[in-house]
Amino acid sequence: MHRARVRLRRPRQGGDDRRLVDYVGVRSRQATQNVEGSAKRLGLGVSTYFEMCGLAPSRVLASLNYSAGGWEAATVRILPTAKVQVVTGTSPHGQGHETAWSMIVADKLGIDPGDVDVLHSDTTIAPLGMDTYGSRSLPVGGIAVSMACDKVIEKAKQIAAHQMEASVDDLEFVGGEFRVAGTPSKSTPLAAIAFAAFTAHDLPDGLEPNLEAQVTYDPPNFSWPFGTHMCLVEVDTETGDVDVLQYVAVDDCGNQVNPMIVEGQVHGGVIQGLAQALYEGADYDSDGNLRTSTLADYLVPAASDVPSITLGHSVTPSPTNSLGVKGVGEAGTIGSAPAVMNAIVDALSGLGVSDVPMPASPNTVWNAIASARRSQPDPTTPGGTQ
Amino acid sequence: MIPAPFDYVRAESAEEAISLVGQHGDEAKFIAGGHSLLPMMKLRLAQPSVLIDIGRLSDLSYIREEGDQIAIGAMTRHMDVETSALLKEHVPLLAHAASHVGDPQVRHRGTLGGTIAHADPASDLPATTLALGATYIAQGPNGTREIAASDFYRTFFESALEPDEMLTEVRVPKMNGAGWNFQKFNRRAQDWAIVGVAAWRNGDQAGVGLVNMGSTPVLATSVAAAIASGASVADAAEQAAADADPQADLNASIEYRQHLARVLTRRALEAASS
Repeated sequence: MHRARVRLRRPRQGGDDRRLVDYVGVRSRQATQNVEGSAKRLGLGVSTYFEMCGLAPSRVLASLNYSAGGWEAATVRILPTAKVQVVTGTSPHGQGHETAWSMIVADKLGIDPGDVDVLHSDTTIAPLGMDTYGSRSLPVGGIAVSMACDKVIEKAKQIAAHQMEASVDDLEFVGGEFRVAGTPSKSTPLAAIAFAAFTAHDLPDGLEPNLEAQVTYDPPNFSWPFGTHMCLVEVDTETGDVDVLQYVAVDDCGNQVNPMIVEGQVHGGVIQGLAQALYEGADYDSDGNLRTSTLADYLVPAASDVPSITLGHSVTPSPTNSLGVKGVGEAGTIGSAPAVMNAIVDALSGLGVSDVPMPASPNTVWNAIASARRSQPDPTTPGGTQ
Repeated sequence: MIPAPFDYVRAESAEEAISLVGQHGDEAKFIAGGHSLLPMMKLRLAQPSVLIDIGRLSDLSYIREEGDQIAIGAMTRHMDVETSALLKEHVPLLAHAASHVGDPQVRHRGTLGGTIAHADPASDLPATTLALGATYIAQGPNGTREIAASDFYRTFFESALEPDEMLTEVRVPKMNGAGWNFQKFNRRAQDWAIVGVAAWRNGDQAGVGLVNMGSTPVLATSVAAAIASGASVADAAEQAAADADPQADLNASIEYRQHLARVLTRRALEAASS
């Protein structure tokens, strides 16, 4: 029987403060339901985690004997049409880089996200870069994109100052246009500067034509996302079947560029972890043959086999990068497998079960109950007290 | 995932289908919905050299009342069994069990006759019709004959059908208001049952069919006998594995399957008795 001391507090810097789990109420229901002779027992599992993400300072990786560095490269190129090309070294395979990078660039340059083309995944166009792993794309690759935008704006500002006959220091870049501070009526849109940079008819002395900047960003630190997941299960002690009644994930990945992508990442991760806890396993026979060699045997759960997930978040911006982002690729997976397993063990603790192997198939859970009953012939301690 | 080469012929009538299978002999297989046969062919667990397609024999798709029985044509799709008002009224256990087969796409293609002729002990409807005391009608070159469900299943995927016979109809006795319940225990919604139980009870009469508890669908006669002799549901259910010879697989040990059969039979009979 684990005991969690839960302190409810308003997040310091952001996020929501809804009470997503009635912890005391669940413990009370458990005390009523998990009594001697009861076939179906409730269990509440809690897992908290924090993770080393945003890999990583290259010197640190060297000390860990990684063969590569931890930087990321990005190029931002404003075409004469004012459309923007972004070249990123992190290669997406479904994580939504094109959307998120477009949003970062649109926000920086004051343009529509639809005017941004994100180029990736081809060494012909993006030879410099590492990978998409370790929740690093946004806190490393995304920062490189953001910094390349800053670099392009700085160059554009020099052209704008030249054309507006103003000092560079007097210009500000707001809403996609350069303005002379204190004189909002006088402005030049970035699109005009982009075209001027392309024609190169009237550039400051010594300035190269075109608006393009490349940045290679080596992060000064890892990022450290964290979270807490809670899972409520009902275990049928006669059959070993586990029913997930409620799943709540609260993750803190810092500032969120696109909350829908964050939700999708957490949903997918939670299901992956839940699948490891309940379904998926590599099973070998005594001759070493893989028995779970088809998707009919290696049980990937479908939508009908997994619970609805309630998501919450707190926002503690990363102090080590300019966007305050930390990455969310692995959050769900880290939190969910232990939350589910802890819930199962919690449900069965009154029967003397202290451990259940993964995947917790009905047969495996039934074996664990039978084994505990054999070693504790008279289990009279009801589980589920607070 | 690629079947071995095979020839394909389409039958336009039951007589033609039987004549075709007579020509091609043992190497020919009837194909109806194809939702059991085709996966086996793709895994090369089945390699018929000729497929005789009976998919267009729409005159074998019907559900009608015949005295104290409901007659169901072999080509009736699971979805039609599931949604039939006649079956819901007179044989609700079968209509309900049909709703547990696969997913909606499977149920729109798969047929009652196909799943019975396929004789997979892990399928839901062979055990259900067995529990209900169904009679199957087989048509061969020399006419038709009736086969009791309890005489039909021989071993894995083998039935009493002769190679040149075709299952054409399933006759199920009306349940006359008997209580009933269907328990399907699986890990994922669309999987076959690890163990399934189809049960009905009417006073001291009961029928219990077990899914995936041996090389054939199993009629748990010991349970019915115990109920008939006045045993409590709990005591009768203890006999649930007595007539079964289950195998172990990735999902269940033999001991666990036997245990599940007892638990699920008890639950099914409790529900059917209330």
